[in-house]
Amino acid sequence: MSISRRRLLRNTAAFGALAGAGFPHIWIKNADLAYAAGGEIKVGVLFSLTGTTAIIEESLNKATLLAIEEINAAGGIKGSKIVPIVEDPASDPATFSEKARKLVVGDKCVSVFGSYTSASRKAVLPVFERQNNLYWYPTLYEGRECSKNVIYTGAVPNQQQDEFVPWLIKKFGKKFYLIGSNYIYPKEENNYCKKLLEKYGGEVVAEEYVPLGHSEFSSVINKIRSTQPNVIFSTVVGDSVVALHRQYRAAGLDPEKMPMASLTTSENEVAAMGGEAAAGHFTSAPYFMVHKSPENQKFVEAYKKRWGADKVTHFVSEACYFQTYLFKQAVEKLATSDLTPPNIRDAVKGQETIAPQGKVRLEAENLHTWLWPKIAQAKSDGQFEILVEAKEWLKPVPYAAYPGQSCTEKGLVEKS
Amino acid sequence: MSLNGSTSNGLQRLTAQLAPLLIVCALVFALPVLLNNDFLLNKVARYLVLGILTISLGLSWGFGGILNLGQAMSFGLGSYAMAMALKLKTIPVHTGASGLPDFMVWNNVQALPWFWVPFRSLPFAIAAGMIVPALVAAALGWFMFRGRVTGVYVSIITLATMVVINLVIIDQQSYTGGFNGITDLAQLEIFGVAFDAYGRATYYLVAGCMMLSLLVAFAFTKSRAGLIVQAIRDHESRVRYFGYDVALYQIFVFALSAAIAGLAGMLYTVVMEFASPTFLGVQLSLSVVVWCAVGGRQSLVGSFLGAVLVAGMQGALSESAAFLETWTLVMGALFVLVVLFLPKGLAGLAQVVWRWIVQRRQAAGGVAQGVGQTEGST
Repeated sequence: MSISRRRLLRNTAAFGALAGAGFPHIWIKNADLAYAAGGEIKVGVLFSLTGTTAIIEESLNKATLLAIEEINAAGGIKGSKIVPIVEDPASDPATFSEKARKLVVGDKCVSVFGSYTSASRKAVLPVFERQNNLYWYPTLYEGRECSKNVIYTGAVPNQQQDEFVPWLIKKFGKKFYLIGSNYIYPKEENNYCKKLLEKYGGEVVAEEYVPLGHSEFSSVINKIRSTQPNVIFSTVVGDSVVALHRQYRAAGLDPEKMPMASLTTSENEVAAMGGEAAAGHFTSAPYFMVHKSPENQKFVEAYKKRWGADKVTHFVSEACYFQTYLFKQAVEKLATSDLTPPNIRDAVKGQETIAPQGKVRLEAENLHTWLWPKIAQAKSDGQFEILVEAKEWLKPVPYAAYPGQSCTEKGLVEKS
Repeated sequence: MSLNGSTSNGLQRLTAQLAPLLIVCALVFALPVLLNNDFLLNKVARYLVLGILTISLGLSWGFGGILNLGQAMSFGLGSYAMAMALKLKTIPVHTGASGLPDFMVWNNVQALPWFWVPFRSLPFAIAAGMIVPALVAAALGWFMFRGRVTGVYVSIITLATMVVINLVIIDQQSYTGGFNGITDLAQLEIFGVAFDAYGRATYYLVAGCMMLSLLVAFAFTKSRAGLIVQAIRDHESRVRYFGYDVALYQIFVFALSAAIAGLAGMLYTVVMEFASPTFLGVQLSLSVVVWCAVGGRQSLVGSFLGAVLVAGMQGALSESAAFLETWTLVMGALFVLVVLFLPKGLAGLAQVVWRWIVQRRQAAGGVAQGVGQTEGST
């Protein structure tokens, strides 16, 4: 007998205490609640607070909570408070799926705001489609999705590139070097970019994909030197953005002659790499923190006041913020007894709100959002300078690269 | 003080070892009756699948002494086998009868790759979900054990192999769905029974497979081969001097463990409704080792319960508002405590408690008989 009785007792007691602290939660049954019981409207907030994408997703969590707090402080929605249920999916698709189930089936949330990566959206999609619930997705993405259970408030390729690519050709020249992380988003963006290049007489000198999280760009930079493109069109994501910019600068390349044009570099990435490395390069997005509008001033001030003066807002957190207001407007249109996810979806179609970037509208056809494309140049202070603003908002066309297909209210339609 | 010469005594011991196993199975099967909540059943089903995965590691690590840090590789391969079959079932709906899976269309693939074709048959996919991981493990085992690689090197090789396969899957996105994995699947249907992820049918399917895995693994540990494997774990060279082909036995237990992990992977796809490269990721693979250690690696039931309890607790902790920010810390502290104070895991604790009760009873009854040893119980 290797373990004495006293030691055994001590161990048992310790484990019992730990077990008692954790287990009761598993067994609580959820009563069958209506979606707006007792003056509360429950919504899920599903952004990773731990794991690899936690830094960016935390800012999305914060922007969503800020909007909810503002709405509640202003009296809620027709007297009902929005109750956010925050879960941490830990940057893991399987955990995303588990927490989505908990929010939709267990907590009976009427909608869930969540996801940064496409991988996590794809992981939760079956939950929302099978349960006919509603997922609000704030991130720019590759398009080519036509779900009736997702509200997309980020930009799709046509909204980031239609203006950007011809502008780049005119300003810098027609030779494009396409560099992206190796997954579906950069490939789809580049598919669309190549179409635009063809249309405007540009050319692709190289198309290259690096593994996600890649941080060694010396061979890429050598290739850039030898091919001498006019524009480096970047859809590299995450930490790789930081590495690419720093190594570009260290190699002594000049943004004036051969700038990087990115669809993914926001204030958040610039803060991570330092303004010096970002300065001179270009980004196309519907929102930048420096955008001048009363709504944006209010948003930035409220965000800093709530979460800290050193925090930045960016084009994904802005979408988190305004999509929560779109949710509010949709719920306001419904009688309390009609409050269900499909009814919210129908009510949000065609809704408009004045977002920090300008007035946005949710397109009834494909549940994507009309946005205001902008082109901006990064400066060494970590902010952008907006050079071009669209004169009109731009319709979302999630199947822009595929003329035969379009997303309609009835689902995906193929014209043959 | 072994008194297990007589058959009746041996039988008694076998029953004693089977008892916890059967009790756990009975509880698992009774749960849907007690728990009238499809959401919780779905959640428990997921934990049961992770439990099966941990049983498979318990078999190779606890009984074979082979610490496979890449156990999730087999799990992931099984998961992809099932996902491929279920993805192909969606083709007529999504892209027309002669179409391709949607992600292949996105990647401009023109024809279905040859290795996807046989997955049109569900029986083939189910067989492949176990046989492919077993073959991969056997091949890897052949190189390692024939080359007398042992200890930490086995762990490094298995981990590295898994990472390589993971990278290949992410890189070859035209054929594998890449980083997003294979999503948007059809429901599994066998003999007209549809296995909806939220339905009871799926729960019972998982429970049935869990019981089967547990019994197969248990039977193996009691078989002649199983005993030799345990002897190899304890003293490899002595067994070799007896003339046994040590590598052969190691390869066998390694492959058996991979097949069970592959089965778990297939069930995971059914329960989660997608397959992702994270299913053969380092994080999951190392979690399995932790669950196994917490439950008690030399006990199959212990490994299983370790996974179910820890994964369940992790879910519960991260969902309680009080621990939202700190749940990773709490879990870490728990593991440290278990490793420090319960080196044999929860199963070791249960064993000690059980012996203590028996001894007390015997002391009270004044029976001067020795107690049959319960080492290496289920």
